[in-house]
Amino acid sequence: MADGDQQGQDSGTDMYQTLNTGIGWLARVIALLGGAVLITLIVMTCLSITGRALIPLGLGPVPGDFELVEAGVAFSIFSFMPWCQYNRGHARVDLFQATFGLFVNRVIDLIADLIMFGASYLIAWRLYLGTMDKYSYHETTFILQFEIWMAYAASLLGAFTFVIVSGFCVLRSARAFLANPTELHT
Amino acid sequence: MSNIEIGAWSFPILLLLIFIRIPIGLAMMVVGAGGTYVVFGSTMMTMGQLKHLVYGTFSNYSLTIVPLFLLMGQFATLSGMSKGLFKAAESWLGHLKGGVAMSAIGACAGFGAICGSSLATAATMGQTALPELRRYGYSGPLATGTLAAGGTLGILIPPSVILVIYAILTEQNIAKLFAAAFIPGILAAIGYMLVIAIYVRVVPGSGDALEPRPYVERFKALIAVWPVILIFLVVVGGIYAGIFTPTEAAAVGAAGTGLVALLAGGLNLKKVADSILTTANSTAMIFTIVLGAGMFNSFLALTQLPQTSAQWVTEQGFSPWFVLFCVLVLYLVFGCVMDSLSMVLLTVPIFFPIMTALDFGMGAEEFALWFGIIVLIVVEVGLITPPVGMNLFVINTMAPDIPISQTFRGTAPFVMADIVRVAILAMFPSITLALVWLIY
Repeated sequence: MADGDQQGQDSGTDMYQTLNTGIGWLARVIALLGGAVLITLIVMTCLSITGRALIPLGLGPVPGDFELVEAGVAFSIFSFMPWCQYNRGHARVDLFQATFGLFVNRVIDLIADLIMFGASYLIAWRLYLGTMDKYSYHETTFILQFEIWMAYAASLLGAFTFVIVSGFCVLRSARAFLANPTELHT
Repeated sequence: MSNIEIGAWSFPILLLLIFIRIPIGLAMMVVGAGGTYVVFGSTMMTMGQLKHLVYGTFSNYSLTIVPLFLLMGQFATLSGMSKGLFKAAESWLGHLKGGVAMSAIGACAGFGAICGSSLATAATMGQTALPELRRYGYSGPLATGTLAAGGTLGILIPPSVILVIYAILTEQNIAKLFAAAFIPGILAAIGYMLVIAIYVRVVPGSGDALEPRPYVERFKALIAVWPVILIFLVVVGGIYAGIFTPTEAAAVGAAGTGLVALLAGGLNLKKVADSILTTANSTAMIFTIVLGAGMFNSFLALTQLPQTSAQWVTEQGFSPWFVLFCVLVLYLVFGCVMDSLSMVLLTVPIFFPIMTALDFGMGAEEFALWFGIIVLIVVEVGLITPPVGMNLFVINTMAPDIPISQTFRGTAPFVMADIVRVAILAMFPSITLALVWLIY
């Protein structure tokens, strides 16, 4: 192999490694953000229950606590999606993994990541349109009267990150697929 | 092709996708969306549905309990409570033959009361109890088998994530389902202890008895686990007393276990971040399956397959018990290769209408509770059966010196106990329903 080729490959690998680190960091940070919201909701719910128990003392529950939990948990779950994809955390049946051999498994990984990328794109796009729907109707929640599109829009953060991360995962599995052409026949 | 045929064909396609290792939730989404397209001839339906389905699923109030219980389980593993539970159980049971293994089961049951996941229970108790079992000279298969089986108590004893999902699918009251799971959960623990008692007598040298402890020490050890008892009583008691909703109970439980972990010095920023990331991973995995199942089931409803097959089964005049038997065998077989949550989400929407159409001689709600518990137990058996029993692998990575084949062998008696228990619970529904009747 010529020196130039080797160097080109190395700098490609370096760039990929930087990208890999960056995407991993992004997925982790967004998941932690979702976790922070989840913990805030836990504290809020505990305060709300305490307030409700102490109504005789003039305290009360946090107004609209159920609505906040719903909107907050939705935000958290959307934020968790990229991390699960990056971490290859989805449930699958590995019964035949050993039987398939390296080549077939890499093809399947690539196909699965491509479908997931498509799904994440659809989810984000439709969520965006859903946000627009809610925005144009000015639909509000029952108690707090905050506009539902805001909760949708917040969830877009996780949904868009999910598209970016699953796009990267396609690249990741494509690289793994192309990396070992010598093992194609195993 | 008629709609029914489209519905019927979707199953082999879905199973094919699942068995070539496409993530289960994703496979269900693809088949659900694809099937809807075939029925309607356009993508409009799915595209319209997607605008609000995903947000609607992720913000569903009943489902918000899932990430909260998962986080609670993560905090519970960091709280050090598993050690206290094991110590307490050991001081009471250690002097029996095979007592240390029985203690591990007792501790798993206690841990299951604050943790709604089998894997987390198996992993946490494995770390605590496995070294002890080996130290006292318990044989490899018995040690790993005990802990893999004990882990399933995590999901059987409420809180339980799978019961939450079942409750939503079948529109049942979560609190009543938790109540129904309680006695079968205790029976499971007792059954496993009996298995150990028999095992150590049949296989000599596999496990011995310790010196009995004085009662002062026993009660001291029991009092030391007060946080577990308190959290369980607040969470479960609060739901039954009507003080809070199951979601609120999960939030309180997460706060309680988090606090205990903090006071025990088990929580620093890095540990909290790790707990969040583990919770994030499981939550996203579960909700992907829930989302996929939602799309797949709305497609199935379009084809009217569930109703038609329910009608067909009743028209055949099969004995209800025969149908139940077939369904349970199917669960056991599929449980060997599929994870329990996917199985519940995939099959309950089809089996439930079929089973409700049959007459088991009880009310609709009683039937739903009883069937839910039985299904929960049979799908959990899948966690400890080869080739892909997750609990077996979790425990096996902790004891690398014990070959997996030995772990398989050690678990077999526990699987037998599970099957006997399912048969008993199926024959006597009142065992499951007694506590529900008592409370409501």
